[in-house]
Amino acid sequence: MKNPQKPLRETNKKVRPAGWQIVAVALFLFYMLLPIVSTYIFSVATRWDRTILPEGYTLEFYIRAFQTSYFIITLRNSLILSAATILVSLIVIVPTVYWVHTRLTGFKPLLDVLMILPFGIPTVVLALALVQVYNVPPLARSPILLIGAVVVYSMPFMYRPVSNAMQAIDALTLTEAGQSLGANVFQVLSKIIIPNILPGILSGSLLVFSTVFAEYTLTSLIVGAKFKTFPLLLVEYTRINGNIAAAFSVVSFTIAWLVSILILWVGTKGQNGATETIQAR
Amino acid sequence: MAYLDLKNVTKSYSGVDVVHDFNLEIDKGSLVSFLGPSGCGKTTTLRMIAGFTKLDEGTILLDGEDITAVSPNCRDIGMVFQAYALFPNMTVRRNIAFGLLMKKMPKKESEKRVAHVLEMVRLQDAAERYPHQLSGGQQQRIALARALAVQPRVLLLDEPLSALDAEVRVVLRGEIRRIQSELAITTVYVTHDQEEALSISDKVVVMNRGVIEQIGTPEEIYRTPQTHFVATFIGTANQFFGKVSGGDAVICDHFTLLADDVKDFTDGQRVVVLVRPETIHVEPDQPKHDGWNIIPGEVETITFHGAVTRLGVNLHGQRVAADITVANTKPISLNQKIWLLFPPAACQVMAVDERS
Ligand SMILES: Nc1ncnc2c1ncn2[C@@H]1O[C@H](COP(=O)(O)OP(=O)(O)OP(=O)(O)O)[C@@H](O)[C@H]1O
Ligand SMILES: [Mg+2]
Repeated sequence: MKNPQKPLRETNKKVRPAGWQIVAVALFLFYMLLPIVSTYIFSVATRWDRTILPEGYTLEFYIRAFQTSYFIITLRNSLILSAATILVSLIVIVPTVYWVHTRLTGFKPLLDVLMILPFGIPTVVLALALVQVYNVPPLARSPILLIGAVVVYSMPFMYRPVSNAMQAIDALTLTEAGQSLGANVFQVLSKIIIPNILPGILSGSLLVFSTVFAEYTLTSLIVGAKFKTFPLLLVEYTRINGNIAAAFSVVSFTIAWLVSILILWVGTKGQNGATETIQAR
Repeated sequence: MAYLDLKNVTKSYSGVDVVHDFNLEIDKGSLVSFLGPSGCGKTTTLRMIAGFTKLDEGTILLDGEDITAVSPNCRDIGMVFQAYALFPNMTVRRNIAFGLLMKKMPKKESEKRVAHVLEMVRLQDAAERYPHQLSGGQQQRIALARALAVQPRVLLLDEPLSALDAEVRVVLRGEIRRIQSELAITTVYVTHDQEEALSISDKVVVMNRGVIEQIGTPEEIYRTPQTHFVATFIGTANQFFGKVSGGDAVICDHFTLLADDVKDFTDGQRVVVLVRPETIHVEPDQPKHDGWNIIPGEVETITFHGAVTRLGVNLHGQRVAADITVANTKPISLNQKIWLLFPPAACQVMAVDERS
């Protein structure tokens, strides 16, 4: 517990940030937000190469973007890819992390190291290697292979939050408490372990979603035009029409935001205070 | 016939027996505690009963049925953990109802059962709270209620009070005993606190290094310890090492002690004589008492313990503890020459356990 006097002092004597601190923060925000803001403006600008601000504004590029024949298909493919990756990732990671924290505790350091490896392999190398090794139909250059590749590539993003959440609960004792009350392994996982690591599962899913939704290299090298995703379409349009590409980017941002909010909303609805409990520790 | 029966149970980790040839019969409805120093195998034995740890050898029978190979969730054995192990994502009510849900008990009946056990642990008001909103003592009460709600055949408790402070510990152990005898539930209670074990148990199992040293009622364990280890582990005992001489004496370095139960030993055998501090009388002047042990010494420490005062007396270089009460002793001061007086019946003679 905090000393009750401390917050009081903090509210009474507001510390004013020094001038240079304000400048530093402003510069940082400018640096982070400038590309996003200019993309938004560019997507509604008529002409923007001779003046500081655009000469006029129009929604024409959005209309043309939505009318693109591939718009819906690529969007759908991207969502399928992200959702499938999250699903496979959860099915692989959650039980593994659980067993490593309860029965096979000796393997945890090994798994921790294994889960850094995907960061060390350049995506181009990973993609080309997979294409070569799995050069057998029906796997060869199929969306299934792509999902497999993307699962590996995004695995650390799922592993870390789930593992940290599992660390925060005493998984073994909770399991034994459940078993002594008559629960089998599946009931222990679904009713005790998963609800208690839900915050970790949610942040892992979010990270995986945003990674996979914007994935370009693996998709273009493994499946290419056969299973076109939204990033592929976007890159294609940067060569055709920059304004339409900007409109696509804005759509992409917006969807990422919406899905994040959706996942968080589903999470907080479904768990009822579990986050609060974890935070209270 | 015993309700819970452990036969020749053995468990080893990396070649070392942490539980060795463990044989124990527990009667239905009784509370048995495992008492022993850290690492003696109490938890391991308890976990084998619960089914969380596999036996290397031996069998466990529950109500005549061999449960050695039955998985923990099918044993119908409840457990209370040192760390409470309440489910953080569930309210108290849902925690307690969890076992009933697993049994697919109808909702009405389950609600009644939850209310009943909550009343038993006197926490009716806490039903809608989450575990982190309760104190340690309250959490452990809920854990007890949760284990009892399913009416298990056996209740296991592994140092349930050791994370709580002294005052709560004493209150709660009384509650556990009260509820246990009300329900007449067969209970195994693990502790390394001897006062706890002696005060709540029907039988105490004293363990050391994976083997049973003695099984007995708390009184038997305290008054008639069977081994050197039990005598020194339970309470305080003064130890005098010496050799048996004749049928009634033990010759120590500086004096000879008269003792009752020397007959089982051969002449000249090395033994230890144990004398509890409360059996020793302290006299300022040399007493006359034929057939008793009378040894002179010098008072080195005086420690006030409330009901009794403990003296540390130097007996030829050996520190001996003796308890006095204000009622039956004249005032004693530091460095005073005094006489210790105790009957042969107070001397327990035992084979020396070199490990103790
Ligand atoms: N899973 C395990 N792997 C290896 N050794 C173990 C394991 N569990 C227990 N041991 C060892 O077995 C011995 C007995 O342990 P146990 O936990 O039963 O002791 P205890 O009597 O409960 O002690 P405490 O009072 O400290 O809880 C200890 O030496 C311990 O190191
Ligand atoms: Mg233990």
